[in-house]
Amino acid sequence: MSTAMNFGSKSFQPRPPDKGSFPLDHFGECKSFKEKFMKCLRENNSENALCRNESKEYLECRMERQLMAQEPLEKLGFGDLIDGKSEKN
Amino acid sequence: MGGLWRPEWRRVAFCGWRWSHPGPPTGVAERLEPRLRPGRSGTGGAERGLRPVGTWRRPSLARDLAVQAPRRPKSTNPFTRAQEEEWRRRNKTVLTYVAAAAVGMLGMSYAAVPLYRLYCQTTGLGGSVAAGHASDQIEKMVPVKDRVIRVTFNADVHASLQWNFRPQQTEIYVVPGETALAFYKAKNPTDKPVIGISTYNVVPFEAGQYFNKIQCFCFEEQRLNPQEEVDMPVFFYIDPEFAEDPRMVNVDLITLSYTFFEAKEGHTLPVPGYN
Repeated sequence: MSTAMNFGSKSFQPRPPDKGSFPLDHFGECKSFKEKFMKCLRENNSENALCRNESKEYLECRMERQLMAQEPLEKLGFGDLIDGKSEKN
Repeated sequence: MGGLWRPEWRRVAFCGWRWSHPGPPTGVAERLEPRLRPGRSGTGGAERGLRPVGTWRRPSLARDLAVQAPRRPKSTNPFTRAQEEEWRRRNKTVLTYVAAAAVGMLGMSYAAVPLYRLYCQTTGLGGSVAAGHASDQIEKMVPVKDRVIRVTFNADVHASLQWNFRPQQTEIYVVPGETALAFYKAKNPTDKPVIGISTYNVVPFEAGQYFNKIQCFCFEEQRLNPQEEVDMPVFFYIDPEFAEDPRMVNVDLITLSYTFFEAKEGHTLPVPGYN
């Protein structure tokens, strides 16, 4: 794997996430939102673009419950979903 | 004493003399000369005939050894002495050059480490990324809608960690520039709280530099209580520049792989790759 110490071959450098780590949802407070998202994925053949609303709702749930730092949704890439319309690709 | 000298002894004495006094063959003749002169050396006239055949006495051998100074030229002949001085001088300069070369090589091997790192950063070799990932980049990025990439998920656990760790979806189709959410699930089936820490890997390696995680659950200790099961989300996006990289033209599949290790006191995470 990437632990092979071949000189000159490209090795993978893991990078820390931009906003750090998600605190664990020990009490399952956002579990229903997650289930909605997974259901949407299954129905739409695992297309992320069609389930962005559900993912936005999940992240909003986390932010409300202090399981995620509050961020304006544009900074999370949901700028096109803010006014309520979802983009269908 | 001369009568006791046999030819074999002479040979042995001769070899011994040669080994301890390496010098040009003319030196032997020089040493012999005083003894060949009549009346100068030796104990008696009767033995003088034997002496020129090549008897040299042990006491003189010892005296020569004791008196020998380290840098004195081996011969008394001025021409050979000059030659020996010349050789010695040249040897010294050659030795100096060789020592300087050795020290230079050692210094270069130490200097190579930061130089190589600098070279890698400039040329982007080894996957080191020069570009920064600011959060306002996420705001401004435009999804590249015609380039669909399939991201598959893999979950691994280190042998000593007894969690059940698996992804909740096998794959997801994303486009560069679009943020995406994915879930993993972990369960602690033991009766003790366990702390785990994870790292990730992206294959192919070259695509790994475009794979940016906004937030995930890696590199921080995560504690699971006994019999607890949690969802672990990963929020990521693929850099829109992925679509413009000619090396990524044939890349349609990216695999994200997470591995959980048990976090113990004093253990550091075995992060793969060069650090």
